[in-house]
Amino acid sequence: MNIWWTYIGMAAVTYAARAIPLLIMRNDPPPWLALWLRYVPPAVFTALVVPAIVTTSGIAGRVITFGPAIPAGLIGALVAWRTSNALLTVLCGMVSFWLIRMVMGS
Amino acid sequence: MQGVTQSRWKSIQSGFIATIIVWPGVAPFGMVYAVSALAAGLSFSETLGMSLIVFAGASQFTAVGLFGAGANPISIIAATAIINARHLLLAASTASYIRQSPGWLRSIVAFQLTDETYAVGVQQFEKTGGDAWFQFGSNLSLYFVWAVSTVIGSLLGALIPDPVGLGLDLIFPLTFIAFLMPMVRDRVNRSVALLAAGISIAVALWLPGSWYVLIAGLVGSAFGAWFAVQSPLTPPEEGSDANH
Repeated sequence: MNIWWTYIGMAAVTYAARAIPLLIMRNDPPPWLALWLRYVPPAVFTALVVPAIVTTSGIAGRVITFGPAIPAGLIGALVAWRTSNALLTVLCGMVSFWLIRMVMGS
Repeated sequence: MQGVTQSRWKSIQSGFIATIIVWPGVAPFGMVYAVSALAAGLSFSETLGMSLIVFAGASQFTAVGLFGAGANPISIIAATAIINARHLLLAASTASYIRQSPGWLRSIVAFQLTDETYAVGVQQFEKTGGDAWFQFGSNLSLYFVWAVSTVIGSLLGALIPDPVGLGLDLIFPLTFIAFLMPMVRDRVNRSVALLAAGISIAVALWLPGSWYVLIAGLVGSAFGAWFAVQSPLTPPEEGSDANH
């Protein structure tokens, strides 16, 4: 039974983070905040991409790793830049990741 | 009324469909989550229950590790709060698009907002304007695939190969690259991305969890706002009165 109470606690703190801004921002935000929020998507997207590609998590925490993910990510970025096609980006990125890894023999 | 119901349904549907693009990045990890939860001693209903009640991938993996290590509930809840603090920023960003929709709808949207559906929503809203029903459909889509992949993972168990070994953890950042690149066509957005890249690496190496998303997100976007006001090449439309 204990575990379900833990779930409810986990859900509550998660919901709080997701809900508080959505519920309190009813009116037009002041101009400085509107301008700030306009640049949140590129900043967050970048933060979700870059460490995921150039670092790996190990026992000793995160470390920078120069692996096949970096050239694969660059190829993906080029495809995305030229085509704006998400499916093609993922396909080209994954295929180049596997090819590079095969060539590097790991 | 008929027309309203129909357009809502259309929005939910198109949100649901637009989110299928992120399924391949999510489903393998839903399955692996289930495998590791069962291995940590959780029952099937407890494994699926966490996916349905908490619905936050990274924190579910962490919780499974902590359950396996016999950690106490308070520390598990605290770890969850820290990992999911980044949602404050995503929710604030989403709120700026859908703040006009009713409170009850926003409180439902808040329950299932994730990195992935946030990105799908923003993409759509930048093109067509905010639509909370679209966001709801997108959230529902990810909730659905997360639940289904948890069940499949529980059933297949150890038959599932390690997705990290296959490199499938690269699908997530590749998907976000596809979301990001069309955004960085101007100087301000490009500078925001470059700064956020540097900060996110530095913070990821320095602090555990996902603080790097929150910190790089906050600082990168604040810099963008400042730079937009300074830059004569890209005069901000709504933000011009902030120029003092």
